[in-house]
Amino acid sequence: MDQEFMAQVETKVVAPTESPERGAAAMQLKGVAVSFHGRVAVRDCTFDVTKNRVTSLIGPSGSGKTTLLRALNRLHDLTPGAKVAGQILLEGTDIYRGDITVTELRTRVGMVFQRPNPFPTMSIYENAVSGLRFNGVKKKSILDEAAETSLKSAALWDSVQSRLKVAASNLSGGEQQRLCIARALAMDPEVLLMDEPTSALDPIATLKIEELMTELKKRVTVIIVTHNMQQAARISDDCAFLLMGEDRAGELIEFDTTEKIFNNPIDPRTLDYTLGRFG
Amino acid sequence: MSDMTELVEPVETGHQMRDEIRSISERSRARRQVRSRIMVVLCALALLVTAVPLVLLLFQLFNRGLPVVLHIGFYTQLPQTPSLIAPNATGGVSNAILGTLVLTLYASVMAIPVGVLVGVYLAESDSKLAATLRVISQTMAGAPSILMGLFAFSFIVRDLHVGFSAIAGSFALAVLMLPVIVISSEIAVRGVPHTLREAGLALGAKPHKVSMKIVLPAAVTGIVTGIILAISRAIGETAPVLLVIGGGYINSWKPLDPVSALPLSIYENAKSEWPSLRTEVWGIALVLVVFVFVLSLSARIWASRKQQAR
Repeated sequence: MDQEFMAQVETKVVAPTESPERGAAAMQLKGVAVSFHGRVAVRDCTFDVTKNRVTSLIGPSGSGKTTLLRALNRLHDLTPGAKVAGQILLEGTDIYRGDITVTELRTRVGMVFQRPNPFPTMSIYENAVSGLRFNGVKKKSILDEAAETSLKSAALWDSVQSRLKVAASNLSGGEQQRLCIARALAMDPEVLLMDEPTSALDPIATLKIEELMTELKKRVTVIIVTHNMQQAARISDDCAFLLMGEDRAGELIEFDTTEKIFNNPIDPRTLDYTLGRFG
Repeated sequence: MSDMTELVEPVETGHQMRDEIRSISERSRARRQVRSRIMVVLCALALLVTAVPLVLLLFQLFNRGLPVVLHIGFYTQLPQTPSLIAPNATGGVSNAILGTLVLTLYASVMAIPVGVLVGVYLAESDSKLAATLRVISQTMAGAPSILMGLFAFSFIVRDLHVGFSAIAGSFALAVLMLPVIVISSEIAVRGVPHTLREAGLALGAKPHKVSMKIVLPAAVTGIVTGIILAISRAIGETAPVLLVIGGGYINSWKPLDPVSALPLSIYENAKSEWPSLRTEVWGIALVLVVFVFVLSLSARIWASRKQQAR
């Protein structure tokens, strides 16, 4: 990590608002910054992601929400010139420097993408258990059970139970996205990252996924990037507001409970954004 | 000038621009229609120029070839040299049919695994080695096919003392097929959406698993199309096998035996002084064309079924 970049990053550390009703942290971000070829895309991100809560990342386009999210499962690793500074802790372990492999990290921190991306050559069943297979699970009884449990958790079991061998591409967009959620859940992750999971879906499919999330947080911690402010207000417990700075790098403006961010934020820019005055 | 006065007249509607555009469009319509007709006629002519030689060729092929291929002996017998007593005793081309199948099979076994793996590597890697391999395969794809024959001749037939053999011929064909398979596999793999790779990585799959279990299956239609293309090209090549397979007059599938091939039989028969052998050429050509046609047709059907299943 080059010194200049580190110095640039460690200028400001926003202390998260301590609130007694919040539980233990699943992930902790400390002065996290991501840069590509030396150009900072997002910086100054310090907040705790509390277990079994939904944390939303909101902000206008270019504020670095997705970039930040993708740092949390090291998806930037393969991007040439990408650097992640600061600390990201998963259960207290630094995911970049600690005693954890990138593959283990990704089995513990699952991800759902913007557009449904089931594997087109695999059946519904094969998609659901694909993560297990990639990680060497071969026993049929385990796979069968994981498929059923994860598809049930994704509220998809009832409609696909009878056609598990059918190609995943036969499902509707909303069903495909729920299959992608099931695929991630089959690994039994501690944290689930969701990158605008409903932006490609119609309102009814969106509603189903939102309902699902409320159910999901009982067993998994959810971090969701969303453009949709109503969605953030409806489903998230905590909320991080990011904004593009003057040098076009995104930064964390405010982090708090969703209720506070939407009703009584500290920073006037947060209020302006949630009221729809820009962005 | 009457047009002009019409245009400068104040228009009540306040849509002067729109009216002007419409009137210009109206006046130029006839001219545009004439131009359009001329273009259509030119296109039809071009089509005719393309289609006529093709139809003539196919007519010739079937007209002269069909009587030859309707004899069962054409497929089952070995070639015979006609004599003054029996000027029409040409025998068959069983050795050439078997030889072509054997050559293609061995060549495919050599070229397909290597070609696909190199193609995947080129698509997935940014290394200097990948860039070098890409330039090499592009150069090879444009190299004249006799060069492969020459290479196989000096290297396998002579230097390795293998002699004229099926294996030398299939090696030459494999070298010919390799760049086609490499290039088409690379294109097919590059066409797989990046989001699928990310989905695999995000599930904790190692990069090589992502390549083998996600990317390769998603690219398989394009890869197979490239393979069929390569085989179709190799099956009809005369130059690479001319120097190395030995033109064996026996039915053999053994790699070290000299064999014959359909294109080679065409080449040899066409030079013959016996009219019966020269007629037989059309039958051999027809068989060759049917081979290639069946191959590419089955590839197309397979690919479209695969596409529909998605």
